[in-house]
Amino acid sequence: MKTLVRGGRLIDPAQRIDALRDLLIENGVVVAIGEHLTAADARIVEAAGAFVAPGFIDMHVHLREPGQTRKETIATGAAAAVAGGFTAVACMPNTEPALDSPTIVADVVRRAQAAACARVYPIGAITRARAGLELAPYHLLRDAGCVAFSDDGATVASARVLRNAARYARDVGGPFISHCEDGELKGDAVMNEGVNSARLGLEGSPGLAEDVIVARDLLIAEDTGKPWHIAHVSTARSLDLVRWARSRGTAATCEVTPHHLLFVDDRFEDYRADGKVNPPLRVAHDRAALVAGVRDGTIDVFATDHAPHGQDEKAQLLSIAPVGFSGLEIAVGAYAAAIPDLPLVRFVELLSTNPARILGVPGGSLAVGSPGDVTVFAQQPWTVDARRFYSRGKNTPFDGMTLARRALATIVAGDVVYERGTVLPHRPFVPAALSPLEVH
Amino acid sequence: MRTVVPRSLLDIDDLSRDEIFHLLDRAESFKATAPPRDLLAGIPVLNLFFEASTRTATSFTLAEQRVGADVISFAPGTSSLGKGETISDTAITLRGIGVRVIVVRHPESGFPRRLAEAFDGHVINAGDGPRAHPTQALLDLMTLRNEFGRFDGLRVAIVGDILHSRVARSNIVGMTQLGIDVTLVGPPTLLPDAFAAQGVRIERDFGAVLPLVDAVMMLRIQRERITSSLLPSLDDYTRNYQLDRRRLDTLRADAVILHPGPYNRGVELTDDVLDDPRSRYVAQVGNGVFVRMAVLDLLVNGARAA
Repeated sequence: MKTLVRGGRLIDPAQRIDALRDLLIENGVVVAIGEHLTAADARIVEAAGAFVAPGFIDMHVHLREPGQTRKETIATGAAAAVAGGFTAVACMPNTEPALDSPTIVADVVRRAQAAACARVYPIGAITRARAGLELAPYHLLRDAGCVAFSDDGATVASARVLRNAARYARDVGGPFISHCEDGELKGDAVMNEGVNSARLGLEGSPGLAEDVIVARDLLIAEDTGKPWHIAHVSTARSLDLVRWARSRGTAATCEVTPHHLLFVDDRFEDYRADGKVNPPLRVAHDRAALVAGVRDGTIDVFATDHAPHGQDEKAQLLSIAPVGFSGLEIAVGAYAAAIPDLPLVRFVELLSTNPARILGVPGGSLAVGSPGDVTVFAQQPWTVDARRFYSRGKNTPFDGMTLARRALATIVAGDVVYERGTVLPHRPFVPAALSPLEVH
Repeated sequence: MRTVVPRSLLDIDDLSRDEIFHLLDRAESFKATAPPRDLLAGIPVLNLFFEASTRTATSFTLAEQRVGADVISFAPGTSSLGKGETISDTAITLRGIGVRVIVVRHPESGFPRRLAEAFDGHVINAGDGPRAHPTQALLDLMTLRNEFGRFDGLRVAIVGDILHSRVARSNIVGMTQLGIDVTLVGPPTLLPDAFAAQGVRIERDFGAVLPLVDAVMMLRIQRERITSSLLPSLDDYTRNYQLDRRRLDTLRADAVILHPGPYNRGVELTDDVLDDPRSRYVAQVGNGVFVRMAVLDLLVNGARAA
């Protein structure tokens, strides 16, 4: 089977290519890049006027399966991914049960192979049941397919447990990923602590709740030598801490969400949970620092923290409504809206090259021999209508916004899985093998 | 078809400056002469208190009866809302039963706003979490106007646990709107600097503020602030912020002392304060009934000549 992506501007930072090039995929692998390629019997994807990039990888999503399939399934989450231009996602372990045993991880991998149109990489738990007490079996989880380890929203409270985990897992491939929030400082917060929380009479979580854990975890990274990735950085000071850790030689990377780049904590006047998310939307000073961090290279990755919930759940009282919202299907446009003039090479690095490198997964490049995972996107205004999401999560603070950029086609292993606004029937595919166990 | 959204009172800024004066005038007229008991004749008013209340619930009930409403009182605990019924379903059910006005108190900020969005009737906020208590602010304003005959240029200090106080928040909104110079006094854990953005002064030195004000409002201090590490001890708090005999002597003779109740004797104030002729606590609770009658009348019947 051949697929020819024709007439687009191909942007592949890994190969330093930014030029009009055609791309030919055969049997799931890139076989040629060139001008005016032709191929008999090839499925043609017309990309004239559009950009052609190595497939986007969202390294921070919640697929809710097993256990919370009312919110999302692996199949619906993967459909949302390809509809948003993502060829691969890494899913967080806060399922029910948590992804803390090889059996459960193998089950997720099997379900993904059967049902998903995107590549799905599980992230294993750092502690059993994400309870922060006992270590998860990292080697076995890695064997089962985990590409990274995280307790996600359940920040490991004990520095001793986390340090032991990082020491034990040091030679297991895949970084530790920290969702940084100190539970004590956060309390029962529903938003950022500041002028707005004081006025609205709502409990706020200070930026400090994030910063102290970022500092702690980066110190543990330095102490143990475990590569570390800071999830959804939201404060100016946390970014400074990442810079500081790197200056000391720590293998530290970090990501930013579209909502933290675009929104601040002024979205709670109606006491609705539409903007309730962890870490919370911050203030203008933090937002500006995040934008600067993308520009100066401190931030490595664009990741959405796609966190689907039922609309009825999000409509509950602010105190009990769940945190987070759908992100996969708005990401390309939202990031462009946040930083419209970001060079496209950087845009692709943050969405493809860097997440592939950090997770050690195939893709991130369109070099001959690479997986035939391609995202075709363009400057094309569209208005977000969450009701039309493929995701079961229909909540997003971006609903109703007009965004200037969008994915036009998504190709996974040469199979066109999304085109012209529609997720297409796909054939089951066996993901390329993980790269061999890496020793950092 | 024109849709008229029934008016609600969720916080004091739902009222214009003129409406506040109108309401206070109306309350004064009710105080002078009891109105006919038919202003809300036959209108079902539900008192929906998700949180315990003595003063406010009693005051609202009396106000409702004095304007002739059909009063239903219900203290649901968490009620069906705790059993999974959505706010919207509750609102539709209550309207279906025939309720026209809901007077609601709830431990969570914003609940009355969410209820008002879903309820095809009037909602009066009787206190939501630390967010707002507009009828308390109105009765405080009525008490101040009785005393001074004006608002503009008055200096008022609000003292104590501002962070957890709906009374403080509503008074900040109302008083600043009317030109009152508001100073907040308290320790940084109970009065974060972030409050300065609301057009008020922040002072930590109670002694320095007290001689300068026309009125001082003492807020209740709850003992759980100690176990939650916001205060070290009552002694340490009272050293700085208790209104006691010694501090009373520095308060001007023509100044007044307000307290929203319930007070903790020996904590934010001493017995001397309650006996002091400048204390207006009894006047405040008395005015509460007339203010609430005026609010019910305004929301249901609209503005008209007093």
